[in-house]
Amino acid sequence: MATTVAHAKSEWDTLHNNGPFPLKTLYITELEGEANIRDKFDRYNDAAQEIQRLIAETKAAGQGFRAYGSRWSMNHVASHHDRMHYNGFMNMNIPVFDTDMHSGTSYLKENIYFFECGNTIKRISEVLSAHGKSLKATGASNGQTIVGCISTGVHGSALDVGSVQDYVVGLNIITGPNPNDIVYIERASKPALNDTFANKIASRIIRDDEIFEAAMVSMGSFGFIHGVVLEAETRFLLKRYVRKIPIKLALELSTTMDFANSSFKIDTEVDSNGKPNRPYHYKVFINPYSKKEKDYVVEVMYKKPYSTPYPDPFPLITQSIYRDLIYVFVKVAEKFPKSIPWLIKRLRKTIMPLKDLEKVITGTLPEIFWDAPYQGPAFACSFGVDHKDSAKALKVLSDLTVDEGPVPGIFAMRFVKQSKGTLAFTKFPITCMIEIDGVIWEAKGKNISLEQYCTRMIEVLKKNNIPFTLHWGKNADWQFPGLVEHMYDKEAIKSWKKARASLLSPEMIQLFNNKFMADTGLDSVTVVPEDPDLPT
Amino acid sequence: MKQPALKTIKIVCLAIVALSLYSCYSVRFVSVEGEEQPDPLSMRSDYYRDKMVVEFDTVVPVNIETGEIEFKILKNDSCKTGKLHTIEVKYPLAARIFGAITFRKKCRIKVKYVCQKETN
Repeated sequence: MATTVAHAKSEWDTLHNNGPFPLKTLYITELEGEANIRDKFDRYNDAAQEIQRLIAETKAAGQGFRAYGSRWSMNHVASHHDRMHYNGFMNMNIPVFDTDMHSGTSYLKENIYFFECGNTIKRISEVLSAHGKSLKATGASNGQTIVGCISTGVHGSALDVGSVQDYVVGLNIITGPNPNDIVYIERASKPALNDTFANKIASRIIRDDEIFEAAMVSMGSFGFIHGVVLEAETRFLLKRYVRKIPIKLALELSTTMDFANSSFKIDTEVDSNGKPNRPYHYKVFINPYSKKEKDYVVEVMYKKPYSTPYPDPFPLITQSIYRDLIYVFVKVAEKFPKSIPWLIKRLRKTIMPLKDLEKVITGTLPEIFWDAPYQGPAFACSFGVDHKDSAKALKVLSDLTVDEGPVPGIFAMRFVKQSKGTLAFTKFPITCMIEIDGVIWEAKGKNISLEQYCTRMIEVLKKNNIPFTLHWGKNADWQFPGLVEHMYDKEAIKSWKKARASLLSPEMIQLFNNKFMADTGLDSVTVVPEDPDLPT
Repeated sequence: MKQPALKTIKIVCLAIVALSLYSCYSVRFVSVEGEEQPDPLSMRSDYYRDKMVVEFDTVVPVNIETGEIEFKILKNDSCKTGKLHTIEVKYPLAARIFGAITFRKKCRIKVKYVCQKETN
């Protein structure tokens, strides 16, 4: 039997110290040994029963419950003040065979894989690599668990691919403590696995597009997502270049995504007519305090067929800023806030990939987006806007940062294909994720605090009529009135809440609610209209 | 020599000694493959945050008979696979001084290691 140890706690924090948040009990579950339960399905279901036992125990105590994996989210989306469950040790993978595929599926069997919730991006990539396969895209690193990624919408900068949730094709969710509360969900319009497979892991099978799209990005509130079915693809290489290009050109590319007709050209990355290839990945780095510079640093990657040998990418993969330096940075910035622009300028070679200028790195997706060790307390605010609005939004946000800051961080823009997820923040045809990443600072005197900065960012985007979304796993003023209703249309919110209510009983809705859900107004099943009298 | 100058020299010497005691040789080997065994109860705020790190200071004898030192990595709760992922060895200057005092018969080192996470 899978075993769980309950630890009495008083608080819990994220990896990047965005808390602490209150907590009473931390559950840690470990799987039964492989030698004791040889059948993979039996071992997986044994863990499911243990989770149901914990849910029943929590329900009996009249408390709430939340699962988490690598605690990479930079806000309270994963936290619960009652009970939390660490699922990082629940990391099985179950092979999928020809006989497991749905008769009407359009997926290739060799691309379909089933992973338990606690598998990290790194582990999944290793399993796939062993089969000559790869994930389609990841975030900028590999430590997040797969369910943490999809629940909050983790994305990279793959213009024509999408976020992590966009290659998930099936979900196995534990929605309560009863035998009927284990469901397998996939799209009716695009099924993947047949009933024989699904019945081995679930008591109910739901093939429904609306429920599936809602459950994909559900912030941990649709129950305990125990397993996911992924569509992988044939392993590929990425060729990474870092260049300095004129600001005008960088923004033109951001707003048009028209690489073929652009003057930005890498000689080795052209088609047979000499026109620039469309990159797999495009990222722009911006120092908001550097008004005199005429160029932006951009990172572009092109997809190539996998072939060996290729140069070992690890010696060249840039090491990020050393943690002690960050602490010095924070201390100096707290004491002398006006020095932040100067510090960022001095540190730009370590914060931005300037060391990689004119270097070319070739590697697989997991090699390029490798480990990101902990480097101290950090914040990240990330807004999704239509890529056509990217230049305007960047100006508004960087002006705010300079005028009302300084804030110890730099901006970047990444670009992601539209997601089908009902509340996916990558909702625009191509979403530009404008993010400011930096080190957590303590506001003193009249200096802006992180909380004030988060509020002001929302206010200025609203004031300038720029439609936006927010990354569910990052810092934001989640209590901003009418925020979710401003970001998503009423029908999407209604559909999401309806799907949640169809999966969970009212008691389970309450059990899986948390402060984040209450702050955003997503905790209830009724839709609250946006207040037209709110200041913009 | 005048008293203030002597005082300054003393302070400078003390500062050099203090600073040099902080300096050390440190080397960390990290496996590219595999994951570190996590520690969900970790309260650390350094490189090893969230990782199940085993650390110890040890004095190893260095003489002709024991020219090679070997540590066994045992399978236990802190190292469920018995396989290494990360190992860091620090050889602080203080340890070098200690080595000199013992005529290099003993050497003090700081070791940290993290094992591979179990795969299932």
